[in-house]
Amino acid sequence: MSTYILRRLLLLVPVILGILFVTFLIKALIPTDAVTALYEGQVTERDAAEAIAAIRAKYNLDRPWHEQFALYVLNAAQGDLGESVRTRRPVLDEIGFRYLNTLKLTFAALAISIVIGVLTGILAAYKRDTWLDVTAMTVSLFGISMPAFFFGLVLILVFSVWLQWLPVIPQGPLALLLPALTLGLIEAAPLARITRSGMIEVLSSDYIRAARAKGVGETTILFAHALPNALLAVVTIIGLQIGSLLGGAFIIEVVFGWPGIGELAVKAIQWRDFVITQAVILVGAGTYVLVNLLVDILYTWIDPRIDYQSS
Amino acid sequence: MFRRTVMAGIVAASLAASATVCAADETTLRFRLGEDPETLYNVQSISLTVSQVLGTYLLDRLVYLDGEGQPAPWLAESWEVSDDQRVVTFTLVEGILFHDGTPLDAEAVKFHFDAVRDPANASPLLPLIGPLEAVEVLDPRRVRFSFSEPYAPFFNILAQGQFGINSPTAVQEHGNLYGRNPVGTGPYRLASWLPGTEIVLERNPDYRQLRSDAVNPGAPHAERIVLSVISEDGVALAALETGELTSAALQADSIDRFVDDPAFNLVIDRNVRNLVFLEFNQRRAPFDDPAFRRAIAHAIDREAAVQAAWSGYAAPALGPLATGIPGYDAAVSEAYGAHFDPALAQELLTELGWTAASGNGVLTKDGQEARFLVRSYSGFVHIERTLAVIQSNLADIGIRADLELSDWGAFYPSLLANDWDMDLMRWTWNDPNVLTSLFRSPGHREALLADPAIDEVLDRCDQLADPVVRADCVSEAQKLLLEATTIVPILSNWNVIASQANVRDYTLDFLGNLIPGDVWIEN
Repeated sequence: MSTYILRRLLLLVPVILGILFVTFLIKALIPTDAVTALYEGQVTERDAAEAIAAIRAKYNLDRPWHEQFALYVLNAAQGDLGESVRTRRPVLDEIGFRYLNTLKLTFAALAISIVIGVLTGILAAYKRDTWLDVTAMTVSLFGISMPAFFFGLVLILVFSVWLQWLPVIPQGPLALLLPALTLGLIEAAPLARITRSGMIEVLSSDYIRAARAKGVGETTILFAHALPNALLAVVTIIGLQIGSLLGGAFIIEVVFGWPGIGELAVKAIQWRDFVITQAVILVGAGTYVLVNLLVDILYTWIDPRIDYQSS
Repeated sequence: MFRRTVMAGIVAASLAASATVCAADETTLRFRLGEDPETLYNVQSISLTVSQVLGTYLLDRLVYLDGEGQPAPWLAESWEVSDDQRVVTFTLVEGILFHDGTPLDAEAVKFHFDAVRDPANASPLLPLIGPLEAVEVLDPRRVRFSFSEPYAPFFNILAQGQFGINSPTAVQEHGNLYGRNPVGTGPYRLASWLPGTEIVLERNPDYRQLRSDAVNPGAPHAERIVLSVISEDGVALAALETGELTSAALQADSIDRFVDDPAFNLVIDRNVRNLVFLEFNQRRAPFDDPAFRRAIAHAIDREAAVQAAWSGYAAPALGPLATGIPGYDAAVSEAYGAHFDPALAQELLTELGWTAASGNGVLTKDGQEARFLVRSYSGFVHIERTLAVIQSNLADIGIRADLELSDWGAFYPSLLANDWDMDLMRWTWNDPNVLTSLFRSPGHREALLADPAIDEVLDRCDQLADPVVRADCVSEAQKLLLEATTIVPILSNWNVIASQANVRDYTLDFLGNLIPGDVWIEN
């Protein structure tokens, strides 16, 4: 298992290099950069020519792109992801606390989506073809179709403006509630449907019928016998959802002003600040790969028959 | 002419109609920031957000612009300009301290300008200081600025937040981290900054209000100001409704919601420095002909654009300078601007040989159809709506306009190519040298043919440091630009702010910035 994990971690390196290469290539193709973006609509490039040249020289942006790429890779290997032309601070300083905030939001949303999604799926499967099942699946369809951006604004309208249960500008831990709820509810929708499918399949198995015949309680049957066997599919979806959650988190962060890397990434794109954008892409990609590795490890715990070593 | 926007003295019988979720501390004001400032060290940034936060709350400047847009004494109690207009010597007010106790003196002023000029800083502010050669300390209260040639925009530049004075002690102490720990002489000082979320400011109890355009001559009324970062307009409006924001700027579509609501007061700043205008690619016929450009100019219905794009909260613009820029000449705009007259536009086109021969409503001349490409930038509803009006206006006189929108980053460089005919542009600047930046040939996008008369006047204006003499020159420049129809000015949008009904003395200065020390809450 440890060899398997090491191999997966080492595979991260070519993935990261590939991502860096592609983003640098894209940057080379775009006609404007972070420096000209500084002056948009205020000072003409002609008037700012001297300053633009000085700033480009300071940040090595006047070098050919392959030289910039090599420099970046060398520095990144030593933990230096560069300095932003806009903020004039090391990118790691910008990203550090924001990454933690995004993780907080992502995992809070994940927790909500798992609790609500899995429980709803179990209930819908158990009460199959009843009004409960139909309602749950209709609502989940609504959730799958709903754009996160719009849903977030609706929740603010309902809970902050109409009901006034929460402030529009919340302070402290309360600030996480609505953003996590928005994202969590949306992600709960597909999870509910997958859990329901998995549970229906498992609940019709012989061993479940045998357990019922032996007089085992329904709660035990559902959670101790059926759910673990339906979990493999659910965990697969959860793993895939991390990517969706991270992307959704970006949108939610903008709507709610949650200070994560998503909000920073949106700003960085407007600023055409590639140093920040690259760092966010790297962090996002690295997170996704690591989480998927964790999910794969989780499989072996759920189903001890799974063995990566021999494969 | 700037009209100072003052709160109407409406005394609300009760507080906001909708009950607030969390009753705000009456001595805490909460305002919105559309984005988190990337830094609060003005040497490192030319961003308007940075300039606004620093200039409104934290840093004072040597001068401010009075109701006429003329420089008035602030940290500098007086100044002398040499006869050749290349040297300006300021005498500073005595006894002003930075928030950290460092005295404000000539060294501090020199320190700031040296930091802008220091190549190691690669400051984006470099273009703003023009031909500044040296800053010398004559004594603790006198500082001399020497230019290689007269620099007319100097005083307007000094009034901006980018040239607020920082404490040299704090800059040296914090080094690279100064951008997170700004220290000035302003009415408020930084208490805390949660990046991406909020900036909390606390009152500077020792503040001396030296501006005569302020209502409150002493220390600020409000004890605390919280600047909340809210990037979504919808969320800001919701916070305004619930009373969590003291005030917020409104987009055009939202204004009607607040206009007649007694729970809010509206402050409309009409003294603005932005201009939306149509430009021509003079490298391509028929836009090399001023008569053709003039015909187009007469076809544009500015009032329709004002209604469509800004719901009426904008002013039609006849002249090439925004009304809030010192030197704007209303008489010249009225006399030489191309008033909306589609009949005259058609007549001019007919005289130029354009006829409706094709029968499809589009004019032709010498086998060429009057079909032209108009470019602009995407992402802004007001631009799209203005373009729709222009397209319709041009169709009415037999010209077909094909629209092409792209992100600013793609749009602006694309204008250097010679494959477009007209573009819709918006520019914001507070000095008449914007005319030189944009319109001195070959123009900011190299699309203008040489015009020695216009170039000569623009060059002359930029060398006139005396505001009275300069104003005459700038009037002449406006006249020449209008006669040549270099552009078609369309409109300038107003800044509309809604505040809670119990807010008093919400004073905006000439540059549209709040004077925060004036603001108080009536119980």
